[in-house]
Amino acid sequence: MINSNILFVDNSKVGIEGAKKAFSTLGIENTLHFAENDVEAWDMLDGNHKISPVPKILLIDINQEGINGLDLINKIRSHEDLKSILIFVITSIDNEKNRSEALNLNIAGYIHKPIDNDNIDFFSILYNYWNIIEYSSEKK
Amino acid sequence: MIQKLVNILLVEDDEVDVMNVKRAFSKNNIKNDLFVAGNGVEALDMLRNSIVPLPRIIILDINMPKMNGIEFLKELREDESLKNISVFVMTTSNEDSDKINAYNLNVAGYILKPLSFEKFISSVATLKDFWSLCEM
Repeated sequence: MINSNILFVDNSKVGIEGAKKAFSTLGIENTLHFAENDVEAWDMLDGNHKISPVPKILLIDINQEGINGLDLINKIRSHEDLKSILIFVITSIDNEKNRSEALNLNIAGYIHKPIDNDNIDFFSILYNYWNIIEYSSEKK
Repeated sequence: MIQKLVNILLVEDDEVDVMNVKRAFSKNNIKNDLFVAGNGVEALDMLRNSIVPLPRIIILDINMPKMNGIEFLKELREDESLKNISVFVMTTSNEDSDKINAYNLNVAGYILKPLSFEKFISSVATLKDFWSLCEM
């Protein structure tokens, strides 16, 4: 069972509320942190508002205005203490360039955003997946 | 992704484990083409010389002769034409160093092979569900 903070980068109220509701319904006890954009997320990973311990999982909505997702993923991958974070990119539109660039940065999954009422299934699949994988116990 | 039936390459030296993966795929109705390499050297040769169609997913064992899983991953990530392939480690190695090395090389998941076949089938089912969410 994954015991880690989870960081969710999303600036839509619907997205945030949907995730909170799904976590609560599914009984997911991991602490869910929210960042509105890439700048705030970076501040939570390597700035003045660092989350401790470093989240092992990051979810990011890549196509929202004001979120430079690829830039954030690039910075994470270049940072010695952050590069191993599992990154799940969530998107609501087809964008071949973004998909290909994200996959080149070795994200764990490029995932289409569910329509609202599929939120539970969506997070349930992700949560089940998080639970079959192992994480290093290394403290950072 | 599963719907598009991307190719999958299994890098595994143990024939019994290869059979188990094939059986678990069959039990879970996973119809993707599955290619098998017996170790890292063989896998790189198959990938670089187009002996198999380029897979979007690699299932990787860690402890193998000639070139182990971590050494293979390093080579894969340094190869421009192969570095973006999604890699799922499936191993009996519970060594923290293997997990750290694998995640530093950005595997999508590190799965410890369950001891019972029933549990293994269930893990593969979870993997299938996850793949069905992903675009590769």
